[in-house]
Amino acid sequence: MKRSPWVSTLIAFVLALVAGLYYTWIIDPVEYVDTAPDSLRDDFKSDYMALIAAAYASNGDLTRAQARLGLFSDDDPATTLAALAQQRLAEGHHESEARALAILASALGEQPTPYVQTPGAIETALAHQPSATSGAPSPHSTPRTPIFDPVPSRTPTPVSTAPFELQSREAICDPTTQQPLLQTIIYDTRGVPLPGIEVLVVWDTGQDHFFTGLKPELGLGYGDFTMSAGITYTLQIAGSSQWVTALTAEECEVDGGENSWGSWLLTFIQQSPP
Amino acid sequence: MKTRTRLLLGVVLGLLTGILLGWIVLPLEYVDTDPSSLRADFRTDYVLMTGEAYEGEGDILLSQMRLAALGPQPPAEIVAQAIAYAEENDYGEADLEILNNLAIGLRSISPTAEIEAP
Repeated sequence: MKRSPWVSTLIAFVLALVAGLYYTWIIDPVEYVDTAPDSLRDDFKSDYMALIAAAYASNGDLTRAQARLGLFSDDDPATTLAALAQQRLAEGHHESEARALAILASALGEQPTPYVQTPGAIETALAHQPSATSGAPSPHSTPRTPIFDPVPSRTPTPVSTAPFELQSREAICDPTTQQPLLQTIIYDTRGVPLPGIEVLVVWDTGQDHFFTGLKPELGLGYGDFTMSAGITYTLQIAGSSQWVTALTAEECEVDGGENSWGSWLLTFIQQSPP
Repeated sequence: MKTRTRLLLGVVLGLLTGILLGWIVLPLEYVDTDPSSLRADFRTDYVLMTGEAYEGEGDILLSQMRLAALGPQPPAEIVAQAIAYAEENDYGEADLEILNNLAIGLRSISPTAEIEAP
């Protein structure tokens, strides 16, 4: 049987196609030199978000922080930041970083509708921010009148160092709670919940800490720690001299006669500076 | 058509199709890039954020480490490029001041204390 003369053409085509793909995918692939933050590897994205939070902790400019976070396709940045704060704390990153993330998460949690603050807020913020669309002209590329007023943006996040006092200590029996918790709610002198406050938990064989504001859905001043049965804990707000002692996980009876783990709810109020 | 012509036609069409597929239709997608590949405006904003954080933290070594993610150049050079970009693109005076403060902070440390990119 005589082979069609086009078979060799087809073979040549396939070989050349493979060669072309090899060249374009391996030898000289398309280089992405002008990428956007959203294309960053996950760990770099986390670093980027932590940097956004650190900048916010320094300048208190929420509009700018929101515009920066808007570069990432994330529908719920507050939850992402809160989770990131816990993750980085567990990974041994600096505590100030976790605190900054918690504060920004809480600030975002206070504002469920990002960018809707004042008329023109989006334009104002984005005028200082890069465009998320790759290849789109940068907003910085055209001369513009500086819109951003640096003075109000310098407002630091108000985290006072005044001492905290235990306002109430309550044993609670919540059947929805799967594990015994040490729950704290911390308010400032005006009764406003305080995020980003470090709480130390110490027991016979170890210690740990957590921050308020990492679960914005439960309140900005809320933080909790899971207790283990049979261990007695002592709790202290970082920097405070007051210790709350004899905190143990105890079973309690809920409606229907069933037993559940009880939790402690500790409420602290910041004292006015002397 | 001669055999050689047909082969040449196959090679040319195959190469063109391969290149078209590789560069245009199915280019390699970079979804896991690093900060060094960021576009100039994003790089500048990254440096600006580092400067803003430095204003509050006062930790120049931490700033240096953050800047190291932008590439192997010396951090001072990265900041200088950011300042040049910011000036060209009419950033606000406050932002320029932040960048300048970061540059000054970087000059205050030993050049041997550079930190490698992660």
